[in-house]
Amino acid sequence: MKWVWVLVTVLSGTIGDLVSAKGMSLHGELDDFRPRGLVRIMRYVVTHPLVAGGIFCNAIAFFSFMALLSVSDLSFAVPVTASSYILKTVCAKWYLNERITWRRWAGVVMVAIGIVLISV
Amino acid sequence: MQAERKSELKNRIFIAIVVLTNAAGNVLLAVGMKQMPDFDNTSVMGYTASLFTNLWIFFGIALLVVWMVAQLSMFTWADLTYVLPVTAGGYVLTAILGKFFLGETVSIARWLGIALISFGVVLVSETPPHETGDDQ
Repeated sequence: MKWVWVLVTVLSGTIGDLVSAKGMSLHGELDDFRPRGLVRIMRYVVTHPLVAGGIFCNAIAFFSFMALLSVSDLSFAVPVTASSYILKTVCAKWYLNERITWRRWAGVVMVAIGIVLISV
Repeated sequence: MQAERKSELKNRIFIAIVVLTNAAGNVLLAVGMKQMPDFDNTSVMGYTASLFTNLWIFFGIALLVVWMVAQLSMFTWADLTYVLPVTAGGYVLTAILGKFFLGETVSIARWLGIALISFGVVLVSETPPHETGDDQ
């Protein structure tokens, strides 16, 4: 059962981040952080289908991670789900058309291995 | 030139907000959840009521909302593959907070993990935030 929760957590978290990043990138660079600007951002976030859908997927990831924690230890759950860093990077290349330079790859791999070392 | 400096400053401030609100939000949530009644021995109504009246949980969720909006804001000027590794400093912060406030021992493997994450963060933070290229 725990591998089902791992799969749901990693997949929904990956889809959530990719889709909401796509939705936000369609908005121009944010620069206005005064109250009125913040209200505008919030409205965009909850009404844009890609962003709202991405948040929904991340909510699923959050709750399935909680479910995973109820059937396994933190020292299993955290390193295993750190694999989503790799998956997100691979997917960002084709879905978001991002250029993954060797520095980015090296950084992501170091972070993922580091998370495993910290939590095991 | 000045606009460039300004947006670099904005980027750094947002990295700090994302890292700090995520770490602090998770800690508050964890403290609040420990005060919750045993799930199996409580009615759904009672459990929900204590969930909504626990201040730790309330402020934990509030911080995580700020975290989410700040991270989403970063996506309007930075790539996903920049934001994710650069904001991973939260893992380091949590480990260090655990050592100083909860008296957790930090093993050699853990120090190595902290060092690796930190290197990764520095490596990626020195790339331009936005590299989505039409040149490839």
